[in-house]
Amino acid sequence: MTTELTGRKRPGAKLHLKRTLVAYTFILPNFIGYMVLTFVPIVLSFVYSLSEWNLGVSKSFVGITNFRYMLFEDLDFWQVVWNTFYYTIGTVPICLILSLLLAILMNQRMKGKVFFRSVFFFPYVASLVAVAVVWMALFNPDKGPVNEALRSIGVKDPPGWAGTAEWAMPTVIGLTIWKQTGYYMVVYLAALQGVPTELYEAARMDGANAFQRFLHVTWPMVTPTTFFVSMMLIIGTFKSYDIMYVTTQGGPGTATKVLAYHIYNNAFVYMKFGYASALSVFLFFVVLLITLIQFRGEKRFTNYL
Amino acid sequence: MNRRLAFVLTVVMLLSCFAVSVPAMAEGTTIRVALWDYSNTEYYKTMINGFKEANPGIDVEIIEFSAAEYSDTIVVKMAAEEDYDVIFMKGLPEMAALINGGRLMSLNELAEGYDFAPYGGTEKSLEVNGELYGLPFRKDNNLIFYNKDLFDAAGVEYPTDGMTFDEYIDLAKEMTSGEGADKVYGTHVHTWASNVYMYPRFVEEYVYNDASTWDALIPYYEAILELQEEGCIQNYGSLKSGNIHYSGVFYKQEAAMMQIGTWYINMLLENVPNEDEGIASFNWGVCSVPNNYGITTENVVGGITPVAIGAYAKHPDEAWAFLTYITGAEGAQVLARTGIVPAWAGQEVLDIFDSFHDEHPNAPEGLSKYISGSNFIVEQPMDENGKAIVAVGDEMHSAIMTGSMSIEEAIAEYKEKAIAAGASQGE
Repeated sequence: MTTELTGRKRPGAKLHLKRTLVAYTFILPNFIGYMVLTFVPIVLSFVYSLSEWNLGVSKSFVGITNFRYMLFEDLDFWQVVWNTFYYTIGTVPICLILSLLLAILMNQRMKGKVFFRSVFFFPYVASLVAVAVVWMALFNPDKGPVNEALRSIGVKDPPGWAGTAEWAMPTVIGLTIWKQTGYYMVVYLAALQGVPTELYEAARMDGANAFQRFLHVTWPMVTPTTFFVSMMLIIGTFKSYDIMYVTTQGGPGTATKVLAYHIYNNAFVYMKFGYASALSVFLFFVVLLITLIQFRGEKRFTNYL
Repeated sequence: MNRRLAFVLTVVMLLSCFAVSVPAMAEGTTIRVALWDYSNTEYYKTMINGFKEANPGIDVEIIEFSAAEYSDTIVVKMAAEEDYDVIFMKGLPEMAALINGGRLMSLNELAEGYDFAPYGGTEKSLEVNGELYGLPFRKDNNLIFYNKDLFDAAGVEYPTDGMTFDEYIDLAKEMTSGEGADKVYGTHVHTWASNVYMYPRFVEEYVYNDASTWDALIPYYEAILELQEEGCIQNYGSLKSGNIHYSGVFYKQEAAMMQIGTWYINMLLENVPNEDEGIASFNWGVCSVPNNYGITTENVVGGITPVAIGAYAKHPDEAWAFLTYITGAEGAQVLARTGIVPAWAGQEVLDIFDSFHDEHPNAPEGLSKYISGSNFIVEQPMDENGKAIVAVGDEMHSAIMTGSMSIEEAIAEYKEKAIAAGASQGE
């Protein structure tokens, strides 16, 4: 590219330069926004992670103290990391399987397909706060319809859901799945519609039943989508804190306090911006690592065609 | 054509990035006031109009934030060096964070010769190292509110000033009755940590920023958990996941008693009765916080709502005029008439509180003695790590109230966390 830009003698170089500049001007507004609002803050947070700053006038450089504190002294850190993995592992597989199943179902010839698609998609477009309030009302330990139903079928002591340490995380996971599945269903639907019908016909000719067709045609054909969906889900769950913020505020105790919530607390409640930046750097590398592993995996497993 | 359009668009976008809004030219000075809940709080408007009339050359610009995020927002805003002249604060922990960051102006010079007597010493809690950083605007202390009609119906005597904590717990059990929709809970324990720690704080055996005092919470947690197990109070988990506001529980007469701050006087005056909301009238009363030392109305525990001048204020003198107006005699009377307790506690204010019974027959007589205790104990004294320690205490509260941890276990573990967050370990 650089040779083309500078090699004036080559015919068409000037035109090419002009075209490139035009292309850049189209990208420019968005690029400026990205630089100012995303990239620069990310770089700054790396700098802040090596300092102590309470949002006050003075900042001081403290080296790796924040990281040492994080790994060895922060009484909540490992609990929070564990909660984050619990949340991710609880959410991702179920959400993935459910959205694929729903997509397959919605891909059949059936009446009212559009209606059901909208119904499943609805929690995704609805406001998180509204969805969370409804979910918490459904799972209210005393008066919620879920526990009423459980009691009526003879469960004497139904779970206290978000009101107890052991059930709070499953309740939040349930809410996340409910909210997210519709979106990934649509992603899978698009993938399913891209599977050539000849493949199904051929499989049928060979005498494959419905399950075999799924296993040997559908599943391999949608693996790139599965990788995309699982990656988006993992990154999404790792950085999510909004769901906990509107439902449990990380409680009871520390039961639903995830890494991103811990970052928020340290920054905006405890005023420890340096330490919060150190936690963000940790989160950054965890997500980076998972993404790299997945890219590797994708190359190995999706090269069918 | 395309290129020209792209160029024009780019230029427009770049310009809009750097565009500076030109402030409207106004005569006189305009002070910028940061607060929360301005649009739905009538007394702010009354006060600010009064201030403008009394000070014709000063205009007031309101910068309003949402109540729930105010404490966090204001600290971040001030870190961005906003030139707010007047800053309202919800309490001392965020004030400490602002002072610690150098975001508030010391008022020592402006306050020279100012008469602090009517504040009853509450202004002392706004001082750090001999520098005064704000004036006390509101002060609230906690009381037991009770529903006289429910006590009358049950034939039980009203709670009294100076009753012991055990008597209070027994009373809560005695007043619990009914099933399903008719259930009346003996008392209501809202989801805040203060709904428990207020009892040991009242007798100064507990303070949030000294971990060595946290063991004093144990007997109170035991008693309140017992009430919860016996169904004499609503379940914490249910209140928390239902996001239930304490005010409605008492308005709807679902609980016979409730420990809450004096701001509830204002809410009761405004909302009971309220036909539109389906809230029937009932007679209510108040008494002081139960304790085992026979202390009655002489002790008051509560919070102070301070108001300060920002470090980057452009008009400190006008801001000071605003502060002294709203926290002085004029502002205090506007506040008091709504049933909110101002920090300025002159006789005019006490008379207003005693007169509520005349206008609202369901309100008790002689309210003034419950707001004028001589020993004002600050609920959460100023501490530079205050916000972090408060968060630790809240987390512990939820762990205990949901039965996630035993009381002793939780207090032992969270004491460590509080110390790590900056709480002291006693003398």
